Amino acid sequence: MVEAQAALDLEPSLELVREGRLAGVASRVSLAEFDESALAERLGDAVWVEEKIRLHEQVLERVLAATTVLPCRFCTVYRAEADLRRFLSERQEALAAALTEVAGRVELGVKAFVDPERFEAGGAQENEQIRELTTQAAAAEGGRAYLESRRLERLVSDERARFGQEAASQLHRRLLGPAERGVLLDLQRPELSGRDEEMVLNSAYLVSDRPGFERELAALARELSERGIELELTGPWPPYNFVSEELRA
Amino acid sequence: MSMDQRPDLRQQVTLLELVDRVLNKGVVLSGDITLSVADVDLVYVGLRVLLSSVATLEEQGMPVAIGDALR
Repeated sequence: MVEAQAALDLEPSLELVREGRLAGVASRVSLAEFDESALAERLGDAVWVEEKIRLHEQVLERVLAATTVLPCRFCTVYRAEADLRRFLSERQEALAAALTEVAGRVELGVKAFVDPERFEAGGAQENEQIRELTTQAAAAEGGRAYLESRRLERLVSDERARFGQEAASQLHRRLLGPAERGVLLDLQRPELSGRDEEMVLNSAYLVSDRPGFERELAALARELSERGIELELTGPWPPYNFVSEELRA
Repeated sequence: MSMDQRPDLRQQVTLLELVDRVLNKGVVLSGDITLSVADVDLVYVGLRVLLSSVATLEEQGMPVAIGDALR
């Protein structure tokens, strides 16, 4: 808690609300912005939403750097400090247990993509049928060459989908080794992921041994890179994906 | 084009990562005011559509700063 206080000293608008063994990190907001009627309008303002979401995360990351933190969902407002204190005191046991579960651990995010060109040159060549068809297509002429190359394209595309799924489950299984827990998240479409390659894995891990986890990830990147897999690591995050939603008072 | 040449897009990816976590995950407290499921969906869908349209503009070779695109 002393650590949390130190992390917040730089930001005068933030307060540490201490209640027993626990403390909540809070900041006073204006009802003009956050009352139900005002909020509905603000939520439609993407600039406002982005700014507040980034602030929410920055505060969590500062506290995370200093101590264990349970990330709360964005935009939880108490009308009075006493209400927040009551929540902290009534749910003390559950909150303390949840904190113990994530103490000394951070969340790391992993995404895997398949690069089509590298897959075709690498992973796809492990398939005998693809190798044969590649030779046939290269030797064929005219209309037959066209048909063979279309057949090859379809075969490579099917094989890529199969390989992507297989690689994703291998990655998840191996990464669970150095992690305490892991969870599969929804895949992001290319226009949202910001990458042209197809995403085959989006996952999060609760990790205490970060060097060990990163070593395993690097080993997997080396093993799978030639076959067309690219990996992306994000974090450390507050343990968003590893706290129970069941802490309502 | 490598990610390094698309700083704007990278920033949007980070925002999406954030939205995925901050709005959809984490402890749900019994605050006096909280986002309802409908509220969250609204923000989420709005931001996703927005990120999606910005990404599409990027793909078409029109670099857009996220701030401009959000206005």
